[in-house]
Formats: sequence, structure tokens, C-alpha cells
Amino acid sequence: MALAIQLDRVTKRYKVGRSRTIIDVFSSAVDRARGRQHEIHSAARGTIDSTIYALHDVSLDVARGAGLGIIGRNGAGKTTLLKLISRVTWPTSGRVRVGGHVVSLIELGAGFHPELTGRENVYLGAGLFGLTRREVDRQFDAIVQFAEVERMIDTPMKRFSSGLYARLGFAVAIYSRPDIVLVDEVLSVGDAAFRRRAMEALRRLIAEGKTVLFISHDMWNVRRLCTDILWMEEGRVRAYGKAADIAEQYVNEVNLETLANQSIALQSHRGGTGEMRYTSVELLDAAGRPATFVRSGETLVVRAGYRTDHSVPRPVFQMAIIDVDTGIVVATASSSGDSASIPATVSGVGTLECRFHRLPLRPRQYVLRLSISDSHQLASYDVVIAGPRFAVTGTGHGVDGLADEEDGLVSLPFEFSHYTATAVGADR
Amino acid sequence: MTTDHSGTIVLHDRADRISAAAYIELLLNLTKREVKGRYSQSYFGVIWAIAQPIATMLVFTIVFSRLARMPSGGAPYPIFAFAALVPWFFFMNSAASGTLSLVTYRNIVTKTYFPREIIPLAQICSRLIDFAAAAVLFAILMAYYGVRPGAWVAVAPLFFVLLVLFTIGFTFAASALNVFYRDVYPMVTIGLQLWLYLTPVAYPLSAVPPRFKWLFVLNPLSAIVEGFRSAVVFNRPPDVGLTVLSIVLIGTVFVAAFATFKRMDKYFSDVI
Repeated sequence: MALAIQLDRVTKRYKVGRSRTIIDVFSSAVDRARGRQHEIHSAARGTIDSTIYALHDVSLDVARGAGLGIIGRNGAGKTTLLKLISRVTWPTSGRVRVGGHVVSLIELGAGFHPELTGRENVYLGAGLFGLTRREVDRQFDAIVQFAEVERMIDTPMKRFSSGLYARLGFAVAIYSRPDIVLVDEVLSVGDAAFRRRAMEALRRLIAEGKTVLFISHDMWNVRRLCTDILWMEEGRVRAYGKAADIAEQYVNEVNLETLANQSIALQSHRGGTGEMRYTSVELLDAAGRPATFVRSGETLVVRAGYRTDHSVPRPVFQMAIIDVDTGIVVATASSSGDSASIPATVSGVGTLECRFHRLPLRPRQYVLRLSISDSHQLASYDVVIAGPRFAVTGTGHGVDGLADEEDGLVSLPFEFSHYTATAVGADR
Repeated sequence: MTTDHSGTIVLHDRADRISAAAYIELLLNLTKREVKGRYSQSYFGVIWAIAQPIATMLVFTIVFSRLARMPSGGAPYPIFAFAALVPWFFFMNSAASGTLSLVTYRNIVTKTYFPREIIPLAQICSRLIDFAAAAVLFAILMAYYGVRPGAWVAVAPLFFVLLVLFTIGFTFAASALNVFYRDVYPMVTIGLQLWLYLTPVAYPLSAVPPRFKWLFVLNPLSAIVEGFRSAVVFNRPPDVGLTVLSIVLIGTVFVAAFATFKRMDKYFSDVI
């Protein structure tokens, strides 16, 4: 296996705390001359000698032509890893070895100067990636075309919108003949059309045998681009392997964490007049066991307790399922059309169950919004904006549901039919 | 990317070697960026580059020549002063903006790899434009005062090389130190103000009292401005002893500064 990148027991330590000043250098020299231990922790000036490990003893081989997704929470060492590979910074110990021309997109258009025109900045930016003037000449049209800046190319960059700026930065980078491309969460800028073209460009680079390292919090993009995933946690490699496996582990753990941390207390984000209140909300599976994970296609039961000191005529109970990432209301169950199960007048305490049969949801995280309103739905007695959360998992084969074919919010029943052109002609 | 006999890629500890030509172009592009950024949207543009030595020359002429009756070795005082002010301002402006340059360009230092010395070098190269503009003005002044250069003008390039080397050396050291200790920049700017008066710019080295002379001899800029003056204005051979000593000093400063810079540059992006 030809390697593109090799890290051998790499540790990167950063000093944190306030910066050293020239006084620290003098005072430590004076202290040393007097034969005393230099007092680093000065109450007046603060500590300077605390360190953090951005990376801790990381060893890693990346094959040539790999699309490697790098995931992990903030501060896990993902960006530090890219900076070490791109030689922007050097390891405290260990070795980083790289085969080929590295182009890093840690920030798009970092080398551009606002006073220079787009054209001049293409030459400047490509120069930062190691291209000569003649090489840029050859790529120039392709760069401009990719970034779609034909109209603005001779305008100073300070007149560019931030999206245009980023587009030109990205175009310059990928046309700089890279062997290894490092992408750090930069595709969050720009419009959807550009993001799609950028993803396609990265995919094409991988197809051409280039190596792409891709940091993103967007699991969907990671799964679309990457064959392997590196999961970083607190400066160490948590897991490294096939994208499908690591993605499943990661999503499951993220789900577990967020679901474990939620308080069932319905105190926060509460609205309504208060004449009638939910007192508890539980999520259950078909067998009545508490469930925070539901498989796609299985049954979810929401059991809610309520209480009122009044006598409320025909209250309307509503339960909405909302996609956590997008805030889209995927479905709403309302008792307004179901006069049979809700008594004409409600008072005291009671329990209500709502059953979602064969939940047709895709593997994502969802949150419940619950409300009680009057019979005409003009006034709300109670609104629980952020109720309990649950995660839908894939059907049997884990969270492989992040692949293209399982994209989207709901799974609709569908059926393909196919007719060849001649058959259509014959029908007529 | 290098490939060995078996066709597999060889991994390197250092970044991929990019052709020197590409880095020279990067230096030129950064220089252009610097010049354009400095003078764009100003009406007089590069004229400002010569306004600085002219204004100082006028002040010096009034203060040192008219009021203090400073000797100028027989040459018209404005020519005498200007011959030293042109190299002086090249050094001063390069050193001042060069010291700050790595911090100013932190967004590319922390985000892309390239030899870091290109950044202070671009500052110095951009001041060469100013130097050239001032040199043209100097030629006009020489013609105006009827001072004709002689054969010794041929050694002026030597002093130009010494000036550039010393400027690079000083700027490398100061810019690298300024990354770690931000007090360096204000120290440099104040130091440059004093340095001007401790260099024979407004007066000849011969006017310095003997007991202070060692201070001027150890200042490589003394040999440079005196050398320029004797070569261009007075058509005389330079002071050989002084010049040789300053060649040694400048060589030492340059090597030491470059070594310091290369030792520190790995850590620039961590602390900047």
C-alpha cells in the first residue's frame, strides 16, 4: 500500500495561559544568576507555564488515494493534525512524513489581499501553494470558471462578497496540482450550489488518486466523500477504519450522550396559559419499555400525564415530531379529529397515549413538541417546546443509513417502473 | 513529489520541495501586494516614498547646516545629507515594517506553508522601490547642484550590497523575536530614532569626537553611509579599514540572524 501520510508517535504540546513577555526572560535570567529557582507563577502577572496536549502520541498511516474523514468534537485535535501535515506547525515530538504536494484549505483565501484584483490574487494565492506564473497561466481559465468570477476578476477583492472570496480561494487551492488536500470545515461558507460543486471537485480528486483529508461535523458529507474515518478524541485517535463502521459508532455515541443528558423535567421552554399542564412525558416502544432509540419502521408510543384544576371542555392535545438539525416539523399528531378517545370534559389528572405506528422516519435525531389548546385551538393551555428527544436508528444494519440512499427525513413507500423507448413507442 | 526506483512515493520529513522559481515568484507577488497595498487609493502614490527623505533633508539643512554650521566636506549640504538619507531611510523603513511583518501576515503564516523568510524579505524588496525613486531624485539633485560623479561611483554597488545584507540580517532577527516578544517592535522603532543621530547622516564621521569614535565604528551603517557619500558625492576611495570591519560585522550579523530565524520559524504559527 502506497502511503501518502505517516505520523509516528506524534505529540503536539501548546503553552496556554498568558504569553511570555520580555520581562519574563529578564526576570528568569536574574533569578538564575542569583541561584534561585525562577518563580514562574507570579500572582501579579499570571501563570505562563501551563501546557495542553493538542495531540498525544498519535500514530497514523494514510494510504494514497484515500478519502479520509476526520470527526470528533471541538478541541479533539483535528485542526492541529492538519496543521502538522501541512507543515504550518511542527510536532513537539514524533515524526510527520508526507509524500507529495500538500495544499491546505484551513481557511479559504487566506493569502488574498483585498486591495489586489481577483486576477492578481489568483497568482498570489497559487504562489502560496507553490505554483509558478506559467503554471497559473495554464490553470487560470479553469480557476475562474470554477469559481464563477468571470465578471469580477479584474475588480479589487475588497468588493467581493464573502461567498465569492471563498469560492475563488477554493478554486485556487484545488487547481494547484495537489497530491494531498486538507479541508477544514470550509465548505460551510458559500451557497448550496457551490458546496455541491466543491464536494464533486473533492470527489474527483479522490478518483484521480489524490488523497483528501476532510474535517467536518456534517456526517452526511463525510459519508458521501470518505471511504475511511478517523475519530479524534482529546488529542488521541479514538477509532480509525471503514467509514460505515466508524460513522455508526460515532452517531450512536453522540445520540447516547445527548439523550442521556436530557432532563425529562418539562420546566424549560414552557408556554401557555397554564389552565392545564403536562406533568410527565415518556417515550416507549411497542412493548411498553422506555425507549430513546427507535428503529425505523417500528412503533413509538408517547405517554403523557396531565393535570388541571379546572374543568376543561374538549381540550386538543398535539404532539409534533421535529427534526433536531433542521427544526423541520416532520409530523404532527392532533387529537382534534379524534373526538372518540378524548372525553367531552377533562378535569383532575389523566394520562394520554399517542401511538406512531411503523415510524417511517430516517435515522436522525428528533425532538417532541407537545401542546394542549382549547377546543377551537385559539388559546394554548400548555406548550412544551423542547420535550424529550429520541433517535431513529437504521433498519437492522446500523447507521449505514447515512449513505445516499437513506438520505432525507422520511421513507415513503415507492415503486419503480421502467419502460424502454421502443416499448413506449409501441404503446402509442 | 519524488518517486524511488520501485515507483512508490517517498515520504519526506520536510514539506515537498517546491521549485525555487515558485518561491521567487511568491516573493515578487508579496512585494507587489505590499507596494500596492501601501500606495493604492492615495493620490500621490509612490511620491510619498521620496517625500520622507526630502522633508528630513530640508530640516537637516536648516538645523545642521544653517544653525549648527556643520561641515559637509565641501559638498553642498543638501547633497551631503541626501546621499546618506537615501540608504538610511531604506534601512529604517525596512526594519520598522519588517519587524512587524510576521505578525501582520499572521493569517497566512498560520494557514499555509512556505519559507517564512519570504515575508520579511518582501517588506525589504518593497522598500527597494522607494530606494530607487529616491535615487532618481538624488541624481536630479546632483545635476541641479552641478556635482558630477567620478570613477569611484563604481564602488557604490558594494555599499548597496552591504546595506541590503545588513537590513536583511537585522530584519530577520527583529521580526522573529517580535513574534515571541511583542515589546521588540516599539523598542525597534524608538531605537531607530536614536540610531539616526548615532550614524553620520547629518554630519561627517570626521566631526565625531575621538572618544566616541568606537561607537560609530561598531555601527555598520556608519561605513555604509560614509561609503556611499565618498563614492558618489566626493569621488574618493572609501575608508578601507572601516569598510572591512563592517563587512565582517555585517557578515556575522547576517549569518547569526538567519540561523536564529530558521531555528525559530517552526514555532511561529504556534505563538503568533
